Amino acid sequence: MSEIVVTGIGVISAVGNNAEENRQALINGKGGISDLSLFETHYAGLRPCGEIKTDTQTLKTSLDANEPEVTRTSLLALYAFLEAISDAGLTQELLSESDTALVGASTVGGMCLTDELYHDANRDSNGSPYLSEYDYASAAIYLQKRFNIGGIVNTINTACSSSANAIMYGARLLKHGFCKRVIAGGADSLAKFTINGFNALHILSPAQCTPFDRDRNGLNLGEGAAFIVLEKEIDAKHKRRYARLTGYGNSNDAFHPSSLSDNGVGPQLAMRQALSVAGLEPDAVDFINAHGTATENNDLVESEAMRQVFGTVPAFMSAKAHTGHTLGAAGALGALYGILGLYHQEVYPAIHFTHPIESTGLVPSEAYRPMSLRNVMANSFGFGGNCSSLIFSAL
Amino acid sequence: MGIFIHKINCISPQQTWGDIDIQTLRAAEENRLYAREPVYDGIPPGILRRMGRAVRMGVGCALPLMKDSSPDGIIIGTSNGGMEDCIKFLNQIMDYEEGMLTPGNFVQSTANATAAQLGLMTANRNYNITHVHRGLAFENALLDAMMWLKENPGHNLLLEGLDEISNYNYNIDYLDGWYKDGNVQNKDLYATETKGTIAGEGAAAFIVNNNREQAIAEVKSVRTIHTNNEADLKSFLRRFLDEQISGEIIDVLVSGENGDSRYAHYYKAVEALLPDSMVVRYKHMFGEFGAGSALALWLACRQGAFPHHSIKRAMPHTAGSILIYNSYKEWQHGFILLKRMDPENS
Repeated sequence: MSEIVVTGIGVISAVGNNAEENRQALINGKGGISDLSLFETHYAGLRPCGEIKTDTQTLKTSLDANEPEVTRTSLLALYAFLEAISDAGLTQELLSESDTALVGASTVGGMCLTDELYHDANRDSNGSPYLSEYDYASAAIYLQKRFNIGGIVNTINTACSSSANAIMYGARLLKHGFCKRVIAGGADSLAKFTINGFNALHILSPAQCTPFDRDRNGLNLGEGAAFIVLEKEIDAKHKRRYARLTGYGNSNDAFHPSSLSDNGVGPQLAMRQALSVAGLEPDAVDFINAHGTATENNDLVESEAMRQVFGTVPAFMSAKAHTGHTLGAAGALGALYGILGLYHQEVYPAIHFTHPIESTGLVPSEAYRPMSLRNVMANSFGFGGNCSSLIFSAL
Repeated sequence: MGIFIHKINCISPQQTWGDIDIQTLRAAEENRLYAREPVYDGIPPGILRRMGRAVRMGVGCALPLMKDSSPDGIIIGTSNGGMEDCIKFLNQIMDYEEGMLTPGNFVQSTANATAAQLGLMTANRNYNITHVHRGLAFENALLDAMMWLKENPGHNLLLEGLDEISNYNYNIDYLDGWYKDGNVQNKDLYATETKGTIAGEGAAAFIVNNNREQAIAEVKSVRTIHTNNEADLKSFLRRFLDEQISGEIIDVLVSGENGDSRYAHYYKAVEALLPDSMVVRYKHMFGEFGAGSALALWLACRQGAFPHHSIKRAMPHTAGSILIYNSYKEWQHGFILLKRMDPENS
């Protein structure tokens, strides 16, 4: 395990169109939650979101992705993918090798096109151009076709922990010799489907979300995509290496379809397993990029689980306050922000935090500061009790 | 090293559970092969009522295999999960113009609902994952299981593939040209010379570990490729066979041929590379769906003769080594190589 390294990163979110823009937003505490201005829904103006302020047509044009069927989810995936492969110096020739793998993740896939899907599924037209693009795998298959990726290609959906599991699966493909390089991550775009779903569950905040705050009032949805390139250290000696991927854990909370158990058994197991795979004691973790959705349930349970696992909880924060909850992309975004912190040896401040949760007293990181970081954990928990944790280590 | 299959169960359009009878071919209705579902006595009625078809079949198929001991992980492959719930929720959104909605269908619609429900019902907090890579969802789940058992020797996994037919995914795939226009009897599926196939659904579950003793079958390898180039597919298969069996013959090819005239050439090409193999087909039994190769694996694992209606090319040898080949929507191809174990000699 120790020899898996991150050689490329790519991201698009409500706080920036590339890794450096995202990093500057994190350093400066600049959030991206706003009233919806592009995405049309009854909830525009009522439920702020982490919306990427580039419309779909502009994305298509700038990416030269003019296939009539391409969806916003695929476009966001393409955007982040292009940055990641260019960052890692993966040429077209390398991408089409049989030892290049791609592992994507999505919870919405092409269902971002709610209205078109409604008409196609109920067969009240002759069919839109998007017929083959509604499923979860559509973004990964779009990338596979566009770049002729020659190795294993997969898509994972474990709800909000999907792309953490994509990274874990990618690392394991490398470890078992099923590939020499893997691009892993996820993408989701805003959809009426998820806005209405989370709203019906009464966990969408009518205001800016406030992770780990006593008075938190639900989550903000977001959209985005992030991919990281993983290679073996021996194959990447002459490349820039951001970090090593040393630990991963996956567990099920087995408590409730849409909320976590009081003690956070699943989150604890995922974190402990990641530590065990990495061969680390809890006190070797210097920073946690928490799942921190700002729902009543998640933040209390995650705080409790972190206390159980770490005793003294290391510096932590949740970037959901910046980007919103990007669902299938959230695990990869969280991982990527952890990698950035580790590479630049710095901790980003939490934003929109005022009062700690009374029962835990935990206070997320308060100010930007350079800090010596050895190991960083990124947590992702999803519906259905799917909990995953990743650990990245400094080189 | 491969992994070993110890228990199997299958819910499908044919009589694949209870008093299994797959010699009798049950007919499709309007180009759809709906699953024959058992009475799910392992699922509490209150929970059962809230389950969509996919989750119900998935849970109902896997639970009997988990009765004696809870597995150390749950790995599911499904192309769509619960599409019916998904579109029910979508219809609510549209019909009530994003008004006050009930979240039940939304929560049930996530593709991981079957794995989640299995974890929840059996208090199983172990590795839990859902692969959704369209027509290679099950192949990726199988590869995951092979890696996981190598990392965690001595453990058991529940591996399952499942998908449902809903009116909605039928409509979408029909409009996209994947199903036949006229009414076709499933028994005549391979005689048609038109585009499209017939829809199917089902679930097949397996308990796998790395213990050879008493095993039903050994899965030796799984390989996948994305291409619409027949020459690339052939050279991919040649390399795979050279690596895996070097000169020995494959006793049986379990072929995913589906009656779609446009893509029959892939299956012909694979058959041509295996001239000494018996050829068995299954889409006339189960129909076409993303995780269909899971049911092909169930069929391959069954002891005894293949049903007479499934045999395309007969050969005198008994089934030892079996290659499952499935192609989905032109672009995705998966190969699963297994060896049936002789229960007398293991």
